[in-house]
Amino acid sequence: KERTDIKLKMPPAVYERVVVKNSPVYQYMKVSLVLEKAQTKLTAVEFKHLITTGLKSLYGEVGAAFPFDLLTFEEDTLTAVLRIYSRGLVRLWSSLTLLGFFQQQRCAFRVLQVSRTSSYTL
Amino acid sequence: MVRVKSRYLLCEINISVPSNRLLLEDRPIFSAVKDAVASMHGDYGAAQCSIGFSVKYVNALTGIMLIRCPKSSYRLIWSALPFVTSVELKGRKIPLFLNCLHVGVAGGGELHSGTIRTCQKFLVRYNTQQLHRMLPQCKTTDEKTHVRRAILRSSTKMLKGKEHKDESD
Repeated sequence: KERTDIKLKMPPAVYERVVVKNSPVYQYMKVSLVLEKAQTKLTAVEFKHLITTGLKSLYGEVGAAFPFDLLTFEEDTLTAVLRIYSRGLVRLWSSLTLLGFFQQQRCAFRVLQVSRTSSYTL
Repeated sequence: MVRVKSRYLLCEINISVPSNRLLLEDRPIFSAVKDAVASMHGDYGAAQCSIGFSVKYVNALTGIMLIRCPKSSYRLIWSALPFVTSVELKGRKIPLFLNCLHVGVAGGGELHSGTIRTCQKFLVRYNTQQLHRMLPQCKTTDEKTHVRRAILRSSTKMLKGKEHKDESD
């Protein structure tokens, strides 16, 4: 009897189920950059250039030519939302993983979220 | 046991200075192709290249070479071939370009089965075709008879080869 009481008190679920039947054109990634010196400032252009150099070192000119977009960028937390064609997701992700240096200081990318719809990543 | 599957790329080497042609070796070409793959496909491509990739045969006289690469990554090497623009031979950079003539494709029947033998067969046929193309361009009768004889020789050789094959069957 107690259990039913608890159930009644709980607020209604806030999640929403989205079913995408065909393969999506884009994938969205929320990533944050962790730097050795936390006070280092980056602009959005530098951030995108860093990702492109990572792609170039792992996948060469072909990888660097693959289009991806930087949708939002927060300079204080170094968090960004990337949009990439589904075909390039694996390549982008793996190059982010193997990217270890930004201007002679160690850095790492944390992938916070990967989604096929933009509204849930933003 | 699973057979190791590989592809063979038959390429033509075009050199602008004919005197440099005889200097060609497999080692420098190998490194040139490898560098091209590394610049086009990065560390990933270079690593794919390091397994099972080799230059099997280089004919300096005719400018023909044969590259062997694993089936899983032959596209990487194939796509990087146009970006080979020079080869370093004895400390000198020699400009050249590679022209891919034939690739073994799986399930392509008799023409493409991805072995050295089919590449050789293709090469014989290709060279006869080239001779046929050369014939109308000949100016003197001497040249014409020369080319005609070459065509006759190559086609009789092909016929002999076929007969030989039929007998063995």
